[in-house]
Amino acid sequence: MSKIVNFTIDGVSVEAQKGETILQVARKNDIYIPTMCYISKTTPCASCRMCVVEAQGLEGFVLSCNTPPTEGIEITTNSNDLEHERTNIMKLYDVNHPLECGVCDKSGECDLQNKTLEFNVGQQSFAAKDIPRKIENWGMINYDPALCILCEKCVHVCNEVIGDDAIDIKFGGYSSTIIPKNSETLDCTYCGECIAVCPVGALISSDFQYTANAWELSRVPATCVHCSGGCSLEYEVKDAGIYGDKTIYRVKNNFEYTSLCGAGRFGFDFDNKASKNEADLNKAIKAIRSAKAIRFSSMITNEEAYILEEFKEKFGMKLFNEDARLFASFMDAYSSISGKKHHSGSLDAIKLCEAAIVIGSRIATDNPALRYALTTASKHNGAKIVYAHPLEDVLMKNTASQLMKYEAGAEEGVIALLANGIVKKADLDEDEKEFFDSLDLGYLGAESNIGEEEISQMIQSFSRAKNHVLIIGSDIMAHPRARNIAKIVALIEKYSAFSVVVVPSQVNTLGVSLINSLDIDEDMVDNVVGYNAKGNFVISSLEFANLSIPSLNQQEGTFVSIDNRVLPTNVALDFEGYTLNDIASVCAIKHKNTIDCTKLLSQKSGFKALNFDELENFLSAHGDDNRGYLLDEVDCKMDGKLENIEDLAEFNGTVIYHSNPVLQFNAYTNKTSQLERDTSLRGSAQFAQVAKISDGETIEISFGSTTIQRTFKLDEDLKGTIALNPTFDIAVDSSKYRFEKSKIVRVTNE
Amino acid sequence: MAKVYFSTWNGELVNNVGKLEQEWEESAYNLPAQYDDHRDSKAFIGWDGVALFDENVDVIRLAMEYAAQYQVYSEACGRCAPGRWGGQILYDTLDKIARGEGAVTDLDHLKEIGKSMQITSKCEIGKTVPNPILDLMEHFEDEFMDCINNQKASKHYDETIGYIAKITAPCTDACPAHVDIPAYIEGVRDLRFDDSLVATRQTMPLAHVCGRVCPHPCEDACRRTNLDDPISIMALKRLGADWETNHGYDFFHPLEKKPANGKKVAVIGAGPAGLTTAYYLAADGIEVDVYEELPVLGGEVTVGVPEYRMPWDKYLKDIECVKDMGVNFILNHRVSADDMNRFEKDYDAIMIASGTRISKKVRCDNERPEIEGYWGAIDFLDKVNLYEKFDIKLTEDEKKEYAIDKDFVDLTGKTVACVGGGFTSMDVVRCSIRAGAKRVVMIYRRDEKTIIRNTTYEEYHESVEEGVEFMFYSAVNTMNDENDVLKSLLIDKFELVPDPNGGRAQLVKIEDASETIQFDYLIPAVSQSADLDFLPEDWDLDMTSWATIKTNGKDYTTSRKGVFASGDCEYGPMTIVNAVGQAKRAASVMSRYVHTGEITLTDDEVMEDHLVKLKVYDKKEKITGWLPGLPREYSSVIDADFRKHNNEEVNLGFTQDEALSEADRCMRCYYIAMVQA
Repeated sequence: MSKIVNFTIDGVSVEAQKGETILQVARKNDIYIPTMCYISKTTPCASCRMCVVEAQGLEGFVLSCNTPPTEGIEITTNSNDLEHERTNIMKLYDVNHPLECGVCDKSGECDLQNKTLEFNVGQQSFAAKDIPRKIENWGMINYDPALCILCEKCVHVCNEVIGDDAIDIKFGGYSSTIIPKNSETLDCTYCGECIAVCPVGALISSDFQYTANAWELSRVPATCVHCSGGCSLEYEVKDAGIYGDKTIYRVKNNFEYTSLCGAGRFGFDFDNKASKNEADLNKAIKAIRSAKAIRFSSMITNEEAYILEEFKEKFGMKLFNEDARLFASFMDAYSSISGKKHHSGSLDAIKLCEAAIVIGSRIATDNPALRYALTTASKHNGAKIVYAHPLEDVLMKNTASQLMKYEAGAEEGVIALLANGIVKKADLDEDEKEFFDSLDLGYLGAESNIGEEEISQMIQSFSRAKNHVLIIGSDIMAHPRARNIAKIVALIEKYSAFSVVVVPSQVNTLGVSLINSLDIDEDMVDNVVGYNAKGNFVISSLEFANLSIPSLNQQEGTFVSIDNRVLPTNVALDFEGYTLNDIASVCAIKHKNTIDCTKLLSQKSGFKALNFDELENFLSAHGDDNRGYLLDEVDCKMDGKLENIEDLAEFNGTVIYHSNPVLQFNAYTNKTSQLERDTSLRGSAQFAQVAKISDGETIEISFGSTTIQRTFKLDEDLKGTIALNPTFDIAVDSSKYRFEKSKIVRVTNE
Repeated sequence: MAKVYFSTWNGELVNNVGKLEQEWEESAYNLPAQYDDHRDSKAFIGWDGVALFDENVDVIRLAMEYAAQYQVYSEACGRCAPGRWGGQILYDTLDKIARGEGAVTDLDHLKEIGKSMQITSKCEIGKTVPNPILDLMEHFEDEFMDCINNQKASKHYDETIGYIAKITAPCTDACPAHVDIPAYIEGVRDLRFDDSLVATRQTMPLAHVCGRVCPHPCEDACRRTNLDDPISIMALKRLGADWETNHGYDFFHPLEKKPANGKKVAVIGAGPAGLTTAYYLAADGIEVDVYEELPVLGGEVTVGVPEYRMPWDKYLKDIECVKDMGVNFILNHRVSADDMNRFEKDYDAIMIASGTRISKKVRCDNERPEIEGYWGAIDFLDKVNLYEKFDIKLTEDEKKEYAIDKDFVDLTGKTVACVGGGFTSMDVVRCSIRAGAKRVVMIYRRDEKTIIRNTTYEEYHESVEEGVEFMFYSAVNTMNDENDVLKSLLIDKFELVPDPNGGRAQLVKIEDASETIQFDYLIPAVSQSADLDFLPEDWDLDMTSWATIKTNGKDYTTSRKGVFASGDCEYGPMTIVNAVGQAKRAASVMSRYVHTGEITLTDDEVMEDHLVKLKVYDKKEKITGWLPGLPREYSSVIDADFRKHNNEEVNLGFTQDEALSEADRCMRCYYIAMVQA
């Protein structure tokens, strides 16, 4: 039951929902109260004290950021006394603040600068003895404590939104600083969110520092391309050097409401360079005309996908994209039970949930945006989060309230056990009842290694929760039983409070899955044009292309994010070469611009007939997402039948799990200059023992038909005989289940 | 009362400046004029004013040093703009005046900054530090002006003077274990549950327990009460502990274990006091052996407090946290006098923390323990809890003794009377309901209001909901038996008759109102006494009139050197938090004693005792700067009809929403007190 409190602010009648503070209500009603430390997405830092207000009949000031209103209270946000005290606070902030605005990176967009001007603090009237403060370098992040105003925003976002909890405050009055928590240097995932929220120049990207003035940079609103999170960002560009090449200097985000991982923030220089060479274009056209198939990745826009589909229609070649095909197949099975084309959940649903299950994903690195949503739910709602996976993940420890560690390959059994725990008692139809009756719980429990008490512990911990989300990771997509798993997932959704989020593995896996009619990749070699993928003629924005095309930060177009949201992105950097549309034009597929395809995307899949230029790309002042549009819901036939659970697969010996280290996702992140490239195979001591290898050794790993060389790194946070194999530096076969049996041999240097 | 030269404490102005010492007026407050056995105090300065006990105090230096405590040494500050910068400006400006370089404008700046801090600071330290400084500036303006006008240093500026400071808070002061409550609440508010838990464990290793079953005396000293309702302090404590447990973290210890220093201590009893002593001694590098009579750890909280109030798996986490510090436990070992003599040789010190495990009698006619149906509360709860928590069944002999057919306490169809009124009796009646008793009656001499005061509002109402009948103004007169089997009780009725002379009202028996009611069981839960027959007779320890071990209540030394006592066996049956507080202090004293053979208190402990005497909480204080009328949150409990048939934890704890809005009501009432000695 939400209780509404009526009160007034500056004579305006306003209302507060339960849990809202005076400041929140003021902002909602566009009433200005100055703050220095407040950030909408965290609990109040309450350090600046600028947001004090007066309440009728009360002596003293009330802090508006952490005080909920009471019925009928009359709040005044401005008076001579308030102005006086706020000015004094600004005077205090300015005491000994280094007068280096001329070179400070924050100058021009600095809260301290702005508020100093706002409160007309022209001189320093109070004196304090300054103390030496040492500038710290924490890798990609620099910290200057002399500039730090101890607002604590960085501490709050790191802990409450990101989940790294890597920043601490070292108390000591005037000498207080922020420090890395329990570590010499920052021990974190380097999302750079602390830089984003820092209101002054204390926390700065070490790459960006002293390279540009804020006001020289022009901002290009875009969508991050590294995972399917669909995070909004702005590329900040400027002409650099004597030739005036436009360069991306940094990436910023609307940190008040959204977050960005380090790949989005620091991995921006993956643009492609080329010039027009008609001979190359002609070769490409020839290759396409004679192609039996085009193989492409999901690192493309909806519009490119649309043009590729047109090629198929026109020339009849096959289209290969296993990543999107398997996703589409999973969703098709899901729809056959749920009756809906799109999954029902979203990142916002996760942020608001009180209970969540994540299964089949190393989610913190697979999709950081989803991890942040879980952190938010865990911290702010006290959400109980079950992390079900064969491998523990230290990054999820303070988010997950229950680790459900199952055997690799056992996902179908685990989902069945979860469903049995969650919906067995629901009002099921005959077939569904029979499905549950036929489950051999003893077998499933024993083979998947999920005990009955783990399920009941989960049910118990969810008992007070209102909003539930089930998150299905990309491990499942290539599982041989993916389609039946999808049906069981839909069944859970049908009979419980769970909404479902299926995690697409790439930026536009979801879009491609809706746009293209994909064929099973037969591993064809000849007459295959690769589009950002393998082929005997390669058209790509990566290295070794027969024809170069623009990278995703050089294109305008749209993606479909994990939220089923069609998001626009824009050109940050110009591209001198050809685009897919140029090739298409020659092949008599005529669009003036690639983005002319935006309105042509199929409404049967839920797209709207909107022109690209009609799509907005901003968050409102209150944080409402006005980017692009949400896919329309599409009804589907509910003709799916649950199948009985097959025997669970076993994975013995040295198993590898294809999973990237923090900040790396694919060939594009691999191309950027700031992101660390750790290509080592990481495994536990037990893995090392079984594989007969030790830390630092060069090894040869064989799985499927692939053999690669890597360095082995012992990871104390891991247990068991599954090691983590990065994929960002190798072409990964998306049709394969992410766990693979492997053969590992030590390479001896002779 | 205290003899002062000058005081502004709590608005009481005592100004004896210029008077002869014998004419000095006294202050009404228990100000610490005598610091310890060998030192007088020269001055006391704190949140509420300043007191000088000596004419010769350098007041400018005093003000400066007080500002320094806040700014330089205090760990609590730096969390808000007015405090962080304002505090430093106060200190620097006072220092400038004190060293003889001040200007008249500096006084204006001090007043200006002081006022801003008073109005806008985040916590009470920032709000109150200017108070005594401004008092001194007002009342000793001449001294300030003298230094400014003549550009000379204050009178003792360059001398070495001892200043001893302590941070406290009304709730912390009222908590017997002096838990840093504002810090653990801040941890919840900032969603930093590890910090919250570490703050608790600095002085209280039993965070799960004291986040669930503490009678929370702190809440009676919560300043928020002056505004609306006290903060739900206790319930916020368990959030940190639950978080650590739920997320499967290793134990967050507040201190790193020191390397072994070769000293050994024996602890008698593994209850709250024993566990606490062991935890802090072990952290200090001392080897600790804890001897426990029962087959299980945890003392009365394990075998006395029922599962539905204190789930064993949660208490076990607290115990494992103590174990994790490196403590040896010896179970099933009831120590003897011989053991004690041996311990005295084998160990550097002994802590007796054996509790009070003998149920006292009701004192009615025919109260013979051999009557079937007469069952001491402690023994009754032992049997219930050992079965419910550890599956330890009744022996054949016990079944016969208690007239029970099943091999656990099953009271189906039986009627139970309990005489008591405290927590133990509440546990008895609620356990009886859960054991299936047909009728459960609490016989109590006084009224509803008193039983609530002696337990908690929740405890009383929950037991009523579960079907316990309360018979107020009643007492058992006689046990009626047939062949040593209890048949009924003769119960007298009383009324409260006011004293015509205005004295305390008296309970007077109502003639002809007594009634005989059939009961199968009478469970006395009036009080408990200490079972100390393991003490060697020749030790001849000093005892209190309550037959508990006597100490001075400060260092917990007994009349025998090297032997300490804490918890219920020292104080008499009391609360868990009381046992923890005593044991924490005792462990500190012991950790020095084992090395030096001396009994000493730290300055922090001396100050702690002074502040308890002075009282930090002022229930008459007017609170400004906070919006009143924000209601206290109450956590949900499971349904009575459901819970009375099982042992599930009744209180579900706060939801995150409830916890956060409760934590946001906390006013962070930290104060600094400082003595010049």
